[in-house]
Amino acid sequence: MYAALLSNRYLTSRLIPFIAIAAVALCVALVVTVVSVMTGFLNMLKDSGRQIVGDVIVSSGIGGMPYADEFVADLRGLTTVQGASALIDTIGLLRMPYPRGDQKEITHVQVWAVDAASLATVTDYANDLYWKPPANAAAAAALAADDPRRHLDASILEDGKSLVESRTGTPGIALGMHVSVGNARQRDGSYLPRFGWFMPDCDVTLTVVPVSGQGKIAEPREQIFPVVNEVQTGVYEVDKNRVYIPLKEGQRLLRLDEAPLFDLNAEPDSQGRYPVIGVTPARVTKLLVRAKSGISANALRDQVELAYQAFSKRIESDPSRSARMPEFVNVLTWEQQLRDLITPVEKEREMMRVLFSLIYLVCAGLILSIFWAIVIEKTRDIGILRSVGASRAGVLWIFLRYGFIIGTVGSALGVLMAWGVIRNINAIHEAIGSDAPRAIWIGTFVAAGFCALALVRTIWRGRLLAILLWLLGTSVLTLIATALALHHGTLIWDPSVYYFTIVPDQVDWTTAWSTALGGVLFSVIGAAIPAAKAADIDPVEALRYG
Amino acid sequence: MAKQPTPILSARGVRKTYVFGAIPVEVLRGADLDVSQGEWVAVLGSSGSGKSTLLHLMGGLDKPDRDGGTIRFQGTEVATTHGARLDLYRNREIGFVFQFYHLLPELNVLENAMLPAMVGHWFAQFSGRAVAARASASALLESFGLGHRLHHRPAQLSGGERQRVAIARALANSPRVLLADEPTGNLDVKTGEGILDLLSERHARGLTVVMVTHDPAVAARADRIVKLTDGRVEDEPPTASKPLKDNE
Repeated sequence: MYAALLSNRYLTSRLIPFIAIAAVALCVALVVTVVSVMTGFLNMLKDSGRQIVGDVIVSSGIGGMPYADEFVADLRGLTTVQGASALIDTIGLLRMPYPRGDQKEITHVQVWAVDAASLATVTDYANDLYWKPPANAAAAAALAADDPRRHLDASILEDGKSLVESRTGTPGIALGMHVSVGNARQRDGSYLPRFGWFMPDCDVTLTVVPVSGQGKIAEPREQIFPVVNEVQTGVYEVDKNRVYIPLKEGQRLLRLDEAPLFDLNAEPDSQGRYPVIGVTPARVTKLLVRAKSGISANALRDQVELAYQAFSKRIESDPSRSARMPEFVNVLTWEQQLRDLITPVEKEREMMRVLFSLIYLVCAGLILSIFWAIVIEKTRDIGILRSVGASRAGVLWIFLRYGFIIGTVGSALGVLMAWGVIRNINAIHEAIGSDAPRAIWIGTFVAAGFCALALVRTIWRGRLLAILLWLLGTSVLTLIATALALHHGTLIWDPSVYYFTIVPDQVDWTTAWSTALGGVLFSVIGAAIPAAKAADIDPVEALRYG
Repeated sequence: MAKQPTPILSARGVRKTYVFGAIPVEVLRGADLDVSQGEWVAVLGSSGSGKSTLLHLMGGLDKPDRDGGTIRFQGTEVATTHGARLDLYRNREIGFVFQFYHLLPELNVLENAMLPAMVGHWFAQFSGRAVAARASASALLESFGLGHRLHHRPAQLSGGERQRVAIARALANSPRVLLADEPTGNLDVKTGEGILDLLSERHARGLTVVMVTHDPAVAARADRIVKLTDGRVEDEPPTASKPLKDNE
């Protein structure tokens, strides 16, 4: 009872415990914020990865897989499969429409030749199309006056979904949102055309290089595509590099389309043509498969592998088939496919967790030194308590409880602080990225001026501590005001480095609770040594103290 | 010759040595003192004579040297008692009053007076007795003229008031023995007299008091005076008539 009363009074009757609470809160807030953002980043990476490539990816060599339509149909017949889509994944050069004049910018891109309709059943492709007219008048009114989406025709979305320019019936191309430098990202995450380059009004020229199954490079082939839409997956690496074209166009450009099979052993006719003995089927290089809800990617991968083996055997045993399935294909889950991306982030997060957890030691050291000072100050009280019958354990408990309260209150405040920061991290990021409001830095200068006046007054009175404090206040406020006045926006979270265009804003509650628990534990550990010293104090010595 | 009452507190051949740096200083060199039930004994001695040390040893706050004599409370050895039993002895059987009051500055008057009651019970135990303990402490403080000061902090009290609070605290658990270490040493004569009156009044109700002082006038208020010289209770004269105060 007395332990509770005394630890509460020791807590509320002086400033130093509040400093300790603030220190614990800052330590906890720092760890929770950093690890939560890293965890959010990792989760976004994983979620986005799955949205971009589906659950399972079947990849073949550069020669491609024939009979993809049939295999896709087989896969769709599996009860665990929600959708499957075939595509060609290659690289190409994209000649942009800018700048004006003959010398156009050329950028290298990852080309996905896709069946847009089936791709939308496996990935978030259709939802990721950026240019779409507002859903209703209210949504239109919410857009900025110069936002092109206010005036878009509904056909732009359909063109993006089909990868065909409906106006002309021409096969179109959808660009990743950051492929074109014509898209200027605004602070609210929307895009405006830069220098008037609104890409869906433009044409681009795509050049790809067909490569045979033996690795021989053929003559590069190019095609002009109208840009039908742009795609924003949210993963910067994808949005910066990827373009989407219709599967048929890709197969044709890369010479993976259906073609006559000539008998090269026969005599050519008078025009030098060999007799046709069949047709080589069109090929793809990747299959994306999406699992139904509740089916794990690993389980689906095993099923897809079995399905491929069965399909391959069926083709082999069919003498009418002119092509064979590749002997080896890679069947990977999305996590395995994106391992290069995910593993470093996971390691980075764990490293951050370990490094920032060292703060606990600072926390414990701080509590220890504060409590040491308190125990020395309270030595006589300890003697008094012992004289009225308090036990050593009782004295120990006063200070352990004191440490426990500081740890608990500090940790709770730290979690609350972290929650506030994380939930508003994008707004904070935007604020840091903007000029400081004039009123704030002028206000800070005015406050610094008041501090300076108070400083002059205390100098006149000659009180050293007050002079020092007012001098400190004046200097700090002047520095802050100057920094704010000179601040013109700093982009801390650069999407080109961190893949995503927004900062994760969800608290990792597992980390939050474990960090808070650590904060309490280390506060108690920090308090334990002074508490043990207090319990060991000889009561007679303690009564003589001071 | 009247039969001597059975000692409630008895110190026999008590020796205590302090080591200052590397130099041992023997403060008590075989001190003997018997205190009878209901007796008020004044231990008179000069500064540094070991009066407070004797008091601390009798109150279980300190231990004699190894083989340094015995201290018995109602026949039970105190010097070799440890841990919870010793804590209980200090909490229930003994009340300490110090020269410098030794009140806890963070607690108010009532809380200071209730401290022994709080210390002696676990949280759950005390919760059931809190009301009674509060009422008892309040009544005691009111009887000491501090009813209007219950919620004041020690810093807001005069020296005499602080010492009365300290006495109230010492009496909170109705101990058998009150050990007072120069209870008037930090007070002016008039205030000191008030404190001695308070002790006298409690003594009249049967409280055993052992008071150490260097002031013969203060010691004169006791039933019996012993002198502590060269670490021994040198003089234990037969109980004399208590000198009357001016107003008696």
